[in-house]
Amino acid sequence: MISRIITIALHTCKESVREKVLYNLIGFALLLMAAAVLFGSISLGVDQIILINLGLSAISVFGLLIAIFIGIGLVSKEIERRTIYNILSKPVARPEFIIGKYCGLVLTLTINAAVMTAGFYVALFYLQRRLVGPDWIGLQCVYFILLQLAIVIGVALLFSCVTTPILSATFTFCVYVIGNFLSDIRWFGQESGNTSLLKLTSVIYYLLPNFSDFQTISQTAHGVAAPPYLVTANTLYALLYITILICASVLIFEAKEFR
Amino acid sequence: MIWGSVVMAAFAALWPLQRAIDRQQRSLPQAEGLLYFRSGRALRRWGLGYDGLLADIYWTRAVQYFGRKRLAHARRYPLLGALLRITTALDPHLLIAYRFGSIFLAEKPPGGAGEPQAALQLIRRGIVANPSYWRLWEDLGFIYYWDLKDYPMAARAFQTGSRQPGAYVWMKAMAAAVAAQGGEINTSRLLWTQIYQTAGTQDVRASAVAHLAALDAEQQISELDKLVERYRREKGRPPASLEDLVFSGYLRAIPKDPSGAAYTLARDGRVTLGPSSKVDLSLLP
Repeated sequence: MISRIITIALHTCKESVREKVLYNLIGFALLLMAAAVLFGSISLGVDQIILINLGLSAISVFGLLIAIFIGIGLVSKEIERRTIYNILSKPVARPEFIIGKYCGLVLTLTINAAVMTAGFYVALFYLQRRLVGPDWIGLQCVYFILLQLAIVIGVALLFSCVTTPILSATFTFCVYVIGNFLSDIRWFGQESGNTSLLKLTSVIYYLLPNFSDFQTISQTAHGVAAPPYLVTANTLYALLYITILICASVLIFEAKEFR
Repeated sequence: MIWGSVVMAAFAALWPLQRAIDRQQRSLPQAEGLLYFRSGRALRRWGLGYDGLLADIYWTRAVQYFGRKRLAHARRYPLLGALLRITTALDPHLLIAYRFGSIFLAEKPPGGAGEPQAALQLIRRGIVANPSYWRLWEDLGFIYYWDLKDYPMAARAFQTGSRQPGAYVWMKAMAAAVAAQGGEINTSRLLWTQIYQTAGTQDVRASAVAHLAALDAEQQISELDKLVERYRREKGRPPASLEDLVFSGYLRAIPKDPSGAAYTLARDGRVTLGPSSKVDLSLLP
């Protein structure tokens, strides 16, 4: 089973790497990091902060775009091209296919993030002429970005099993935006004084992925590392949420009939 | 071939067109910039976690806005306060925005916005968000001392700052000096000397040098005015120029200000800076 999942994952990764949009996005992100060095020179006293904020934001934003635009085609593309019939006619179980596809895209995004992180550290080294201890806090932030992207891929995969690529992209983006507003949504329920609304907003708060705890770019720019409990909690949260998303995708995919 | 020629011709036409637009735009009165978002908190929510990057963008915008206005010798900086408020709401730990922003706000026009009360509010917000950062207390004391001439409050700010972790020892000395001799030129000189010695950037150092030069020049002018008055009393007439003081033995030579330019005697009988002087007395309160 594991070997089949690895084969599908590697194949998905190779297929994703062939996408031209991937290189455009990585190229643009690296260009943005290079521009951050110039951007700092028109500001005052914040060269390094700008580079860290812009560099890590670029890794996050472009990672998000890659996760959404490649993630939405993970399953629907196979159905559209009818390659799904070839795959499922072989001794590949449907859950193996879904998990393999998911792992393949996570692998692609990890490689992309590694390339962009290397570019970020090159730019930081160019600016400071050295790399010191607090600079490596950026790696913790990149880890949080990757955890967040892993959830986004799961959401895109789930939608990819039920609807068209355009709708999948729209829904995934909406979930991402709402996931950043969950604290405000719950606060709105608490402030309203309406019990039904409070219950509804609480359900939304726990049901949808909460991305705000993964946002540590601003802290990182000030050289502040996330506390160890947050690293553990975010890892567990991402693992649990990814499990839910993959299981839901498997359930939907198992119920699908291909004719 | 035809398409290529059209592309070339269109580009050739674009150049004079853009120049004509630029000429027209320059002749129009410059409109004040617009702020589409006035609430930093709202912007922070809509920033989807990229509030640090947005804060950098707004800080850069504030710096550029201030620089443009200052170069144009503007007397009003209507957007500066809002830009700084948004910046610090987006990133409450962006210390440079409090420190430089308060200088931009407090300094008298055309060097700054001339809004010391707004500068105080900005620094106080900074202290609330960064309570252990003693430098903000130094900035608070400085605004009270230099711009508002509220010496008891300045002494209190320096005193409170001196108790914060990592505060330099001179903060205590400054608190004592301001409490005992607020408004004295030596106290002002001590303050600017400390700023010069501990400045983190070249701009702050240059500003401290300019202020120290202005203080020195003011003191020298005051001494020279006393000599002119003595000359008038002893000779029964005012001197026609500072050379008269030299010829009569009151001075060994015509003194020069910190920028190397000679002082002159104005028609009203008061000593002033020479026309080639680079000292800016308007920096003094």
